[in-house]
Amino acid sequence: MRKDQFLGEYLRMQGVSRRGFLKFCSATASMMALPPSAVAQVAEALATARRPSVIWLSFQECTGCTESLTRSHAPTVESLIFDAISLDYHHTLQAAAGHGAEEARMAAMEENAGKYLLVVDGSIPLKNPAFSTIAGISNLEMLKETAANAFAIIAVGTCAAFGGIPHADPNPTGAVAVSDIITDKPIINVSGCPPIPVVITGVLAHFLTFGTIPELDALGRPVAYFGQNIHDRCYRRPFYERGQFAETFDDEGARKGWCLYKLGCKGPTTYNACATLKWNAGTSFPIQSGHGCIGCSEPDFWDKGGFYNPISAGMWGSRDALVGAAAAGAALGVGSALAARARKKKAMSQEEA
Amino acid sequence: MSSLDAIPVTAELATGNVEPLLHEIRHALKRLADGEDGTVIDLQRLPLAPGEDERIEEVLGQGEVRAEINALGPTLVQETSYPGVWLVTHRNTEQVVVARFVEVTHIPELLKSQQADIENGASRLENELKN
Amino acid sequence: MTLLEFASGPGLQWALWIFVLGVVWRLVGALFLLSRKDLSKPRQYNSVAAGFGAIISRSAPAHAFEKRILFQHVTGYAWHFALFISVLFFAPHILFFESVLGFGWPHLPNTIIMVTAIIATAFLIALLVRRATHPVQRFISNADDYISIIVVLIPLVTGILAFAHFGARYETLLAIHLLSVETMLIWFPFGKLMHAVMTMPARYQAGTAFGRRGVKA
Repeated sequence: MRKDQFLGEYLRMQGVSRRGFLKFCSATASMMALPPSAVAQVAEALATARRPSVIWLSFQECTGCTESLTRSHAPTVESLIFDAISLDYHHTLQAAAGHGAEEARMAAMEENAGKYLLVVDGSIPLKNPAFSTIAGISNLEMLKETAANAFAIIAVGTCAAFGGIPHADPNPTGAVAVSDIITDKPIINVSGCPPIPVVITGVLAHFLTFGTIPELDALGRPVAYFGQNIHDRCYRRPFYERGQFAETFDDEGARKGWCLYKLGCKGPTTYNACATLKWNAGTSFPIQSGHGCIGCSEPDFWDKGGFYNPISAGMWGSRDALVGAAAAGAALGVGSALAARARKKKAMSQEEA
Repeated sequence: MSSLDAIPVTAELATGNVEPLLHEIRHALKRLADGEDGTVIDLQRLPLAPGEDERIEEVLGQGEVRAEINALGPTLVQETSYPGVWLVTHRNTEQVVVARFVEVTHIPELLKSQQADIENGASRLENELKN
Repeated sequence: MTLLEFASGPGLQWALWIFVLGVVWRLVGALFLLSRKDLSKPRQYNSVAAGFGAIISRSAPAHAFEKRILFQHVTGYAWHFALFISVLFFAPHILFFESVLGFGWPHLPNTIIMVTAIIATAFLIALLVRRATHPVQRFISNADDYISIIVVLIPLVTGILAFAHFGARYETLLAIHLLSVETMLIWFPFGKLMHAVMTMPARYQAGTAFGRRGVKA
């Protein structure tokens, strides 16, 4: 597709009928969590949308986010969106390598200055720039350089959004999130480990359709997908209310699909779309498969007390400290009582005298 | 290694969303009957437990019209046993469901031939007959 | 560190530490403040029975006051029962106790807990209002009385709000609920909330002291 071509025209040339285009818009609107009444608006916007340039930088990451995206369940819709954008730079997906690839990146940045989208996955190590480099350039330097003329940044995955796994205690590489480094550009945090693929493309689709940043919550995540916590949308909620919990992973409660709160489910404090959109074409999500939510779209989810520790057990430390406190209290109690008795004895002896 | 299917699973799952949804359809159908505009309900916006999708289809039943559209993958448009209530299931070329809607309308938009396609077809027919 | 991380982490650790230290200090201190050895001849030898007897008999108001304090008596017991059910039989709470004590116990369905929590809150507010408006109660009440009630009332109210996901984001509500419980735990050893720990031993002591002299306590 030519860069300056309209998306509508491009699809027509691909042999997609108007009817097919409307089907695509319906599915895209649904993916963007827009009401069906918005389909007409989406259709109009997409028909006249131009291809945005997208540069994808992969830093200290496991490539899970790219894997999630390329395994996404609706290749027709997603691949159309990816055809619709001009992915000018992506380590895993591009054929180019070496200096040629870096030159392509610089050319794209120059050509589309102020208009290209920067997508980042992976955290940025600050302790030593050598911990993660691309073509000899440190992540920190490459991020600053590429973000300078970007229209907006999409931080894909919990690593880019909040620091993720590398950021977990004791954070040996000094890993930080994109938002800790870039403070003068709009950043959309699409968190999750990995994020639901439809969420990633939904954000891209929003940008494609409306040319703007979607509404974001306090942590910079699109409200359309991260506005509700898992607990409030979980189909096992009635079991929580009735007090029917699985106590172990293979007991009767677990087989009957009861609530996983006691097994450490972090659903109540996790905001994501897993309970409604689910994974693998709406097949299932962790709770439906019998494992509690690990809270992977929240900051520092690795350090929230353990995946199998229930939320209400807290992260307050060891019982030994309390035994010590009791011992100290007993000692103080005995000490103060004996001191009081000594004073009383003295007072009595003084009285007698 | 034993098969995963050997694990017995008995799940009593219900979100409680089936009945409110059916009532929403009832209200929309009444409005349509009174001459007002149609309504489209996105089924993927609602949390539904496994089995509740089938329950909704079971309750709505199948009516007189069943149409298959072939555009960017198959789409099934089924009028339910309640005239005016249509179930539209969009699948992609891999047969995976990408969107599901309940349309309460006289005829779903997608079944109608689209203006742009008609114009294309007209010029195509003209060219065809010239040769 | 987020508010919830603090509230469920170091905040809770310190509050529990102060609570345990303070309660054990006062209880052990009081127990070791034994009176002088009583050199008189005891009228009755089985003072243990008298001690436990006093615990039971003093659970009801003195006959002379029964009718006059009917409201406090009934409401007082009702709100205590409702509180214990809400605190001790709500599944997430039991998991917390399990992390402290090492063992748990069966729980009740959430709807029952919600009902008892609302009853406890309503009755406690009623008792607080009475304390502040009734001329005699107002005269004899001091800061300790009011603080002790408030630090228990706030966890009840914030607990209900958190459970209902009402008023703010869930993590914020949960953090505030935990912080209010921590405030109560820290206040506990210093004020009248100690009655929870002291009442039974105090009644027992009075019972044995009187029982030795052949008097029903």
